[in-house]
Amino acid sequence: MRTREDVAPFLDAFHAIGIGDNEPSWLTTHRSTAMERFAELGVPGRDLEAWRFTDLRLLTANPIVPVAVASGAFDATALEPYKLPARAHRLVLVNGRFEPALSQIGELPPGAWIGSTAEALTTRPELVRQVGLDSVDTTGAQAFMSLNAGLFTDGFILALEPGVALETPVEILHFADASDANAFHMRNAIVLGASATASVVETFAGSGSGWTNTVTKIQLAESARLRHVKIQVEAPEAFHISMLRASLAARAAYEVFTATLGARLSRQDMQIDLEGEGADLALHGTYLLRGDQEATLAPFVNHRVQNCHTSEVLKGVLDERAHGVFLGLITVSPGADGTEAHQLNRNLLLSPNARVDTKPELEIYADDVKCSHGATVGDLDEASLFYLLARGIEPATARHMLIEAFVGDLVETAGLEGALAEHARKHISTWFDRPEAA
Amino acid sequence: MSKVSNILEIAGLHARIADGREILKGIDLVAKPGEVHAVMGPNGAGKSTLSSVLVGKPGYEVTQGSVLYQGRDLLELAADERAREGIFLAFQYPVEIPGVNNIYFLRAALNAMRKHRGEAELDAAQFLKVVKEKLKLLDVGEDLMKRSVNVGFSGGEKKRNEIFQMAVLEPKLAILDETDSGLDIDALRAVANGVNRLRDPGRAIVMITHYQRLLDYIEPDFVHVLSDGKIVASGDKSLATELEQRGYAHLGSAA
Repeated sequence: MRTREDVAPFLDAFHAIGIGDNEPSWLTTHRSTAMERFAELGVPGRDLEAWRFTDLRLLTANPIVPVAVASGAFDATALEPYKLPARAHRLVLVNGRFEPALSQIGELPPGAWIGSTAEALTTRPELVRQVGLDSVDTTGAQAFMSLNAGLFTDGFILALEPGVALETPVEILHFADASDANAFHMRNAIVLGASATASVVETFAGSGSGWTNTVTKIQLAESARLRHVKIQVEAPEAFHISMLRASLAARAAYEVFTATLGARLSRQDMQIDLEGEGADLALHGTYLLRGDQEATLAPFVNHRVQNCHTSEVLKGVLDERAHGVFLGLITVSPGADGTEAHQLNRNLLLSPNARVDTKPELEIYADDVKCSHGATVGDLDEASLFYLLARGIEPATARHMLIEAFVGDLVETAGLEGALAEHARKHISTWFDRPEAA
Repeated sequence: MSKVSNILEIAGLHARIADGREILKGIDLVAKPGEVHAVMGPNGAGKSTLSSVLVGKPGYEVTQGSVLYQGRDLLELAADERAREGIFLAFQYPVEIPGVNNIYFLRAALNAMRKHRGEAELDAAQFLKVVKEKLKLLDVGEDLMKRSVNVGFSGGEKKRNEIFQMAVLEPKLAILDETDSGLDIDALRAVANGVNRLRDPGRAIVMITHYQRLLDYIEPDFVHVLSDGKIVASGDKSLATELEQRGYAHLGSAA
């Protein structure tokens, strides 16, 4: 049995800082319920299979709780390197709170709404209901999700009515400006009506040892199409936990690309349900880690109905003492015939002290399916390396070329183009700016 | 004493592979600028070991003897340094490198060499000019340049790409390792034509081959027969003809 010891600091914080003072009373009730659920669950331990490889000791040794910081003296130029190099509906969140002065949402077509979660709670009750913020989701024993439901301050919501095609990408820039430890709990939602289309780029950056804990709910109605790019380049001392829950109706397409380069400890959970026939998921991602960084990617995909497709390619590059974890699960429900699902996790270990744990799993309860899964772990190819050296290319450059080639083709295979591709490539290439350890 | 006018001077070279088996048992060979040398021999004679030792491939150990390159001790240089000093190996099995663009790779190689010589690096446009010139010289299709290094190339395209790289990098010493292997007669002719165009008074070429047929297309100045880690016979190109008629066994026993 867990004790309440590990959750006590969070409960204290919840009562102390008065989150939700000006909120509707139903929300206050929800927050209390969520905190009770969190207290029941406790911080996940390594005895839980899904958390077996994730070392949360750094996060639990000194619990990071939200601290109210006076906003104001934020230097907006810090955001520049992280902005999308194109026109965008830009929403900036600093320390977990929407900053209207730094944001530029621009003109939206009719039927489109973009704004902060806090704003929606007070001005758009029907939207709050639509995106499901009015219910406490305590399913699946997700402790950090419950903690988020209790402590969230803000976030973003994108909602498109049926048929709305948002041409300009939506850019969400999360910046943590945490000279002292602080926690940022954000709750987001993307809801696309039938045949609506959008691109959303989320970039997480910042300084200090903050803890970002986000929950994002995504609902794609029939034939809706969402391209979602997530670039996590937080400070090397930061913590990053995120939970994404998506549900796809018939023929909906969700294309997600994720790059993890930042944070001391990060974990990205995804629970994606393919609930309508012909739904299509493409997940491409990479994690490039060094020092003592640890990153976990845990995409769980559920094929609930017939004729849905999943294609997953995740590639890791681990140097020095870094630790990468891939926990991939694709479940094909009974009767979900015609499923096609492929899952691949490839890793490059550049140092004898780097480590990777990879578990690509398939659970198939239907008969007529085409599924594959695989994982590789290896060093740079010796023959390729020698070929480059034999042409006079210096060893460090040759290694750089081969590592870049290993991850670089993901941007292409993910189908990213234009500013989105440029943005992804630019942040991936920052990994090479620091000299490799000897 | 070596004369600096020699490009390559191998003396009493003994080498073994990492597991300890001795492969080269005393090689002597001198190549001057402008010369083309053919090193012939049956399988297992040590041909590939010789080329590997000359270019500094890991996994080999020199136990005795010396190799001078333009009067300098070659063996103390790392593989990439040797290449920047002007040594080029045309690989028997060119390596496929997915995700590394051919033209990007070759520009990095040429610029590494130019930087080493204290010359200005070429930008993309300047490099493209060099490439176009060499493509024309060797009759290589431009589309090869747009692909990843050797990926999806036919056997002949791979070998032609090696010779194309040689044309761009303009080495002092080119070592062609079994460049004829796996080629049909048309591909062989194309590769040989390329090599012949790259014969140069300032350049030495060492061709390593099992078969005499390559020498019908690239005429060597000298032929050496390698057998069991030693050069057992040296002569002009007539030696190759003799070899073809009487076989390696005959020459090996005559030594």
